[in-house]
Amino acid sequence: MISVDLTPMIDVVFQLIIFFMFTSQFGELRRTEIDLPREQGDEEAQQASAAMIIDLTGEGVYFFESKATSLLEIEQVAQLGVTNQTDSTPFDVLIRPDRNAPAVYLDRLLLRLSSVGVQRWKIATIDTGGGS
Amino acid sequence: MSRRRTSRQRGSRLGALPLTSMIDVVFLLLIFFLVTADFAKQEHKLPSALQTEGGGVRSSDLQPQIIQISLLNNQPVFTIGQVRCNDRASLEGVLKQLPRDAGVAIKAEPDVPIQSIATALQAARNAGFTRRSYVPGEVGQ
Repeated sequence: MISVDLTPMIDVVFQLIIFFMFTSQFGELRRTEIDLPREQGDEEAQQASAAMIIDLTGEGVYFFESKATSLLEIEQVAQLGVTNQTDSTPFDVLIRPDRNAPAVYLDRLLLRLSSVGVQRWKIATIDTGGGS
Repeated sequence: MSRRRTSRQRGSRLGALPLTSMIDVVFLLLIFFLVTADFAKQEHKLPSALQTEGGGVRSSDLQPQIIQISLLNNQPVFTIGQVRCNDRASLEGVLKQLPRDAGVAIKAEPDVPIQSIATALQAARNAGFTRRSYVPGEVGQ
């Protein structure tokens, strides 16, 4: 008679649950809390993931990988990304700005990115249903 | 008779699988997905090309339509040529009447909130412009 022993399987499942719970928590912590612009966005642009994600707070502080970063450091990382990009994996920048931040902060950042050869960027938005 | 008893015994043994642990796991998974689904809000993206004043190579000889964003009484105003729009709906209406081949370029004054730039990009996208670019203003560090 074949008897199915579920105990090891349940052990493994528990381990997986604990692993995913922890990793998802860390993933959330890495994302800076930002009041993004409220727009629907572009469905066609949802598939590709960005090579570089920069957060911009309302006070004009730039965050890269959850750390406050100077424009010079961002420029250096972008320069490296542009140098290493290929036709199949173009260097893509996603900016997550505070919706109330003045455009001057975005302009400063984009001018730096442009100076190292970044040609395309994306702005992160959040769809709240109504837009503004 | 004996064959009937054997099949009954087999059925009772299969029915005695310890389902409690399985249900525990399923409940935990359910709770996990409920909690994480609440955390993660779906973010969207609005792509745009990046141009600088007087720089960059244009892929077309056509001049793009320019949307200039400024503030009037703390409210954003979108200007295309001589036409002024105060919201996305009216901006979209104006853009839909324009030729799309040349694309659209967006410029903003330094004090304009970034929300207005996103609004202009969204309006251009909804109006069917595939070539959208943002031109950052020259600013001091």
